[in-house]
Amino acid sequence: MNKCLTTFIALFMFTSYKAQSQPDMQKIVIHFKHVANGKSLHPDSVYQNPLGETYSVKKLKYYLSNLGFNKQVNTNISLIDAFATDSIKIMLPYPAKKGTFNFQLGVDSIYNCSGAQEGVLDPLNGMFWTWNTGYINFKLEGQSDYATTKTKHFEYHIGGYTGKNKTMRQIRLPYAGTDRTTQLYILVNLDNFWKGQSDIKISTTPVINSPGAIAKSAADNFSGLFSIIQQ
Amino acid sequence: MAGILFLVLLFFTGAYEKYGPTPLPFVVPKGWPQPPTNIFASNPSTREGFLLGKTLFYDGNLSRDSITSCASCHQYFAAFSTFEHSFSHGIENRFTQRNAPGLFNLAWKTSYHWDGGVNHLEVQALGPITDTNEMGETLDNLLLKLRNNPQYPPLFKAAFGDTAITTKRLLKALAQFTGNLVSAGSKYDQVKNGKDSFLPYEQKGYEIYKQYCSSCHSEPLFTNDKFSNNGLGLNKLNDLGRKRITGLSRDSLQFKIPSLRNLKLTPPYMHDGSMGYITQVINYYTVIDSSLPQLDPILKKPIRLSERNKAELLAFLFTLTDTSFTKNKNYAPGEHIIFRH
Repeated sequence: MNKCLTTFIALFMFTSYKAQSQPDMQKIVIHFKHVANGKSLHPDSVYQNPLGETYSVKKLKYYLSNLGFNKQVNTNISLIDAFATDSIKIMLPYPAKKGTFNFQLGVDSIYNCSGAQEGVLDPLNGMFWTWNTGYINFKLEGQSDYATTKTKHFEYHIGGYTGKNKTMRQIRLPYAGTDRTTQLYILVNLDNFWKGQSDIKISTTPVINSPGAIAKSAADNFSGLFSIIQQ
Repeated sequence: MAGILFLVLLFFTGAYEKYGPTPLPFVVPKGWPQPPTNIFASNPSTREGFLLGKTLFYDGNLSRDSITSCASCHQYFAAFSTFEHSFSHGIENRFTQRNAPGLFNLAWKTSYHWDGGVNHLEVQALGPITDTNEMGETLDNLLLKLRNNPQYPPLFKAAFGDTAITTKRLLKALAQFTGNLVSAGSKYDQVKNGKDSFLPYEQKGYEIYKQYCSSCHSEPLFTNDKFSNNGLGLNKLNDLGRKRITGLSRDSLQFKIPSLRNLKLTPPYMHDGSMGYITQVINYYTVIDSSLPQLDPILKKPIRLSERNKAELLAFLFTLTDTSFTKNKNYAPGEHIIFRH
């Protein structure tokens, strides 16, 4: 509970700090382009991961929060679904000069420990663990002949919000543009899910569905998934 | 102008209908600690919210088979446990994996379930509602059923201001009911409040309790809400308890320490209901093998009780039975809400 409280205070301080400055806000549309093997992600296509395993993707959903340029962020939380919601519109102060576009992949701990939530955090969205309270920050499901499960199904539900098991990850992407474009394109390359700081091999780990060391190492690969497509 | 004045007057006199649920203050029984967190902090306790929560609690529509309600496994007369069942029956004759605990004094808990996997009362109900062995329903379908049931939109409106039926409101209403289940009217409580006194053998039992049981089953809640490995070992369901949540081997076979309150009404005992009688439980603690790996260190010190001592302890434990709780009409199915604190 103390952890909850600290996060809450931190969040509160952060939001009050934000309220003091009044930057030039504007609506921007962020598009997420999901690819594997250089091809667009499609539920009927078969891909091969960098570890040589073939697979298809049935589901790819993840939470993003605190999106923004440099130090200015929008605290709204978005749920991206590669096959349904692959773009979001948010109000952001536009950067005066180049820097970084930042966001966190996952849901802040405060929302994991303060009871029933709504909107994108509604447990209806299938991104909430009922038996071990907490949000699934990132969900990837599919089929692969390499999976040792009976149904050849693989399932990566990456979550965990406390201490060492925390799977929320800060992502910082270098941003070069200074023109006032209202569209931002982000490439989400699934190839890097399997091979990054650690290898996630379908043949050895077809299922991750609880917080812990394996979920944490999968989360360590998150930062490699994203890059900005320069227009 | 006169019209506007009339409207303003109406507003101030409160003569026009506006959303105004009646607060249902949560009262901490005399001599009890404040709950560690305020479970009603973002879910103000109201009579309307409580009534909605109670209606949902007793409604079989919350399950996929539309007959299994929360109350199927949490029975009113058994202090909301499943009487005489080691495992409760879910839908389609399925068995649950653990013994359904009694529901009372939940506001003092910081985690729920035998393994403490649930961190807030509001999200607790999601487990049993969606678990395939319990109520096996999906949230989508449940919300659809509630929206199409003419009974519910007015109840949601009374509780929350409009007829929208959402997961959040469903969970908050259930938490208003379960969070308000307070059991503090046992003979033990009467004695503590100076309104009754223990019989000599109950008093002796109380001394034995204080010596051997109170460090885990601490007064006045009769649990310290922590986890312990009491040496029961791995059951046939391979239930590792707390380890499943934390992933830590030191938490293997640790389970939530249950309250001793209403013990008489909540057989069988232990996380898997493997002991049918309280006497069995008392005997168990006097013969634990202290060499068991990972046994809670507190249980390594032998508990030696004579048969007479065991009977005295049992007599004390029976003073924790709260019939004012199990006969409280506010908690029974139906519309009674006559709280007097």
